[in-house]
Amino acid sequence: MTSQTVIQVRDVRRSFRSPKKEEGWKGTLGLLVSPKYESHEALKGVTFNIESGSFVGLIGANGAGKTTLLKILSGLIPPSSGDAQVLGFEPFKRPIEFRQSISLVMGQKAQLWWDLPAVDAFDLIRAIYEIPTKTYRDRLGILTDLMDVKKHLNTQIRRLSLGERMKMELIGALLHWPQVIFLDEPTIGLDVLAAHKLREFLRVFNQQEKATIILTSHNMDDIERLCSRILILRSGEMIYDGPPGKLTREGELMLRVRLMQTPTSEELQAVTGLSAKSIDLKTGESAGEENEDGSDLKSIYFHVKQDQVASSLQKLMSKYQVVDMGMEEQSLEKVIQRLYEDERG
Amino acid sequence: MAKMSRYIDSLKVQIKNNFVREAVYRSNFITMVAVDLVWMAVEFSLFSVIYSNTPVLAGWTKHQVFFFLGVFFASDALFTTFFQRNFWQFSDLVNKGELDILLTKPVHPLFLALTRWFNLTAWFNVVLGVGVMIRFAPQAGFAGGWKWLLLVFWLLVGVFSAVQIRFAFSIWAFWTERSWAMSRLYYQFFAFATKPDSLYPAMIRYSLMTAIPFAFIGSVPARALLHGLEPREYLQITLVLIAFMVFNTFFWRRGLRRYQSASS
Amino acid sequence: MAERSLKPSWLRWVWRVAALKNGFKDATAYRIEFLFEVLGAAVVPAAIQWVLWYALFKVGGMNEVAGMTYTDMVQYTLVSLLFSQVRGGDHDFELSELIRSGQLSNYLLRPVGVVEFIYIRGVAPKLFIASICLVIGMVLGLFFGFDPMRMFGAMIMALVGNIIHYQIGAALASTGFYWEEAYSVLMVKNMIVSLLSGELIPLNIFPESLQWIWKSTPFYLYVFGPVQYALGRWTHAEFFMQMGIASLWLVAGWLLVKISWGLGMRRYLSLGG
Repeated sequence: MTSQTVIQVRDVRRSFRSPKKEEGWKGTLGLLVSPKYESHEALKGVTFNIESGSFVGLIGANGAGKTTLLKILSGLIPPSSGDAQVLGFEPFKRPIEFRQSISLVMGQKAQLWWDLPAVDAFDLIRAIYEIPTKTYRDRLGILTDLMDVKKHLNTQIRRLSLGERMKMELIGALLHWPQVIFLDEPTIGLDVLAAHKLREFLRVFNQQEKATIILTSHNMDDIERLCSRILILRSGEMIYDGPPGKLTREGELMLRVRLMQTPTSEELQAVTGLSAKSIDLKTGESAGEENEDGSDLKSIYFHVKQDQVASSLQKLMSKYQVVDMGMEEQSLEKVIQRLYEDERG
Repeated sequence: MAKMSRYIDSLKVQIKNNFVREAVYRSNFITMVAVDLVWMAVEFSLFSVIYSNTPVLAGWTKHQVFFFLGVFFASDALFTTFFQRNFWQFSDLVNKGELDILLTKPVHPLFLALTRWFNLTAWFNVVLGVGVMIRFAPQAGFAGGWKWLLLVFWLLVGVFSAVQIRFAFSIWAFWTERSWAMSRLYYQFFAFATKPDSLYPAMIRYSLMTAIPFAFIGSVPARALLHGLEPREYLQITLVLIAFMVFNTFFWRRGLRRYQSASS
Repeated sequence: MAERSLKPSWLRWVWRVAALKNGFKDATAYRIEFLFEVLGAAVVPAAIQWVLWYALFKVGGMNEVAGMTYTDMVQYTLVSLLFSQVRGGDHDFELSELIRSGQLSNYLLRPVGVVEFIYIRGVAPKLFIASICLVIGMVLGLFFGFDPMRMFGAMIMALVGNIIHYQIGAALASTGFYWEEAYSVLMVKNMIVSLLSGELIPLNIFPESLQWIWKSTPFYLYVFGPVQYALGRWTHAEFFMQMGIASLWLVAGWLLVKISWGLGMRRYLSLGG
């Protein structure tokens, strides 16, 4: 099967304005008479394509524009400029065929009605999407088996645990077999086990049904395990587009060193010529293991590029006694965290 | 329209689901009925007190007013059955962003928003209202017979009007976060609907037949059944209702646009 | 509690003042809505009353109903507005909601009585409205030749009525300890109050044989009583007698709340909150 482009995004920008209210009576009246607006740019020209059947992770700090992008792609809001196409449709026109073939799940907004048993809530979805009864039964069977929730179908949704509820939400979102699925933080608030099960389900569904899935998450486990490609947004701009593995390989390495001496950060900066940000005296990926040999020497972490490793180490050894050293590849989480920090710094 | 079957099927499921829901929360049936009975008793007492001082009020006898109360009660109960709660939730729908999900569904978002909650126990009050009408029909001078069919028509007009008016009061949710102030205003004006409109001085009466047509909910149907309307009034009712539909459609679109331009 | 008695007595007033301020701020945070609410609550019922009198006297051609002329009726309607704004609010609903939702437990941790706390918070905007109504009433009184001091006394009666209304509401709200739908009891109470407080019609137009109905409840002290005194239809002696009756109701209400909440709370705690 040759893959086709299902989502095309060309230089999409989105700014929105919000009324600015001043304090007190005057402000309230002012708001009625001549409102003042503040303008924000949520997306500053984003361009990418997504192939059918792919599983794409969309990441970025809060306010980076992820949800805005999802809303544009699912047709809830129009882009201020630029062009977005999903399955050949212009999303914001929301033609019925478009709505029939997409699905949007927001981890923080329930779409199923809480005071009904899931099976009744699903029945409404069947009617709305005009799913033939036989097909509906088959799909419900497949999905409840995959999710292992068959026994909860007749329980009121509000009585389910958060994890079970989220599973039901997902089933509800998939019953019409959408070709494109937008997931906004589906694992938010779930415990490790529930999140794992949900991920496993998404992986299987993506592989078996060849649905295109776009996922935003703050949980890097979600991204690492599911997505073959990630898009990173920072302040409305796309700063990375590629496989997650490449990001960690290309990025910096972590040089872990233990010294007999206990130099300050300033001294280390002077010796190695690295910036304060690249030197981590206290925390670190493996901070918990630092005293495994019983000594109370603390590990120091240097975030360095591959070609800087040798020179930095040399400079350190010329000044201090190195007791122990090692190289660690950075986790995705760490890399991303540093990307976010760059934005602030 | 092929789409029609989708709406009909969805509506069936919504009704079924509301049965399921009410089966779960059985307890409020008696409560609701009791509250409405007391409300009715208060209205009856009020008019009984007033009529203890006079035989006729603006051309209405006591029994005609009681007949009106029956019409109004049934019309209002129909609105309560199908729409009341949906309108209460309207502001949440907009301000808590639940509308987002509805917009991605392949049916009109308002259809889903306004058919979500039914209050099936309020059906009892429809029956009660009709019972009151039947009880006072002879003394009120209502001919009955085939004319009871007209009642069905007028009740539909009453409910349709209530929906249009209530919608016009709810739509402001797009512009103000605390649109319950508008909902309260609706219920304050609604008090005008609880009396026959003939009682009102010309100015108020005119408003109740045009800008805030609360008279359409109970007064106009009762008058139509008891005395018949002037031809001019039929035209007026049609025009006012069309105007409301245009107004509501316009502001729904404007509101949606605002909703979409304000969110990020 | 020994520790508590060591505190200076004024400290016990600190939280009350704070609750009052907080309640006032809360109610007026959205000023336009607050204004709308007060106006809406005042104008529409008055308009409906006036409409009835208009129909009775102007359209129906009556000269007098139960000894009252059209002017008397309109006067009654206008002045009753001032007091129906002061009449008890809906904070008894808040109590029943606290019980139903289980949030009552949060209040039990605080060193203040929840019934009193909710009252003070809720009454704050009413006090504000009452003082405005008092000023309006006194000015109107000067204009139309009523004694402004009568207006003052009448407002006191209306405020006492506000307390009694809440006491009854709080006692009824305690049914929430046994029954999920307690709010409906409060709704029924409010409907009865709207008829028997005199905010819809002056109570003296009730047929003679039914007058006992409103006389046997305290509801007439909310609106009807104050209007009668303000307009000079009650003598001073009658007013003081009625205030005596009002204080009896106050004591009865206090006992009622003590007992009903004592029982309810015992049940609430035994069920584990």
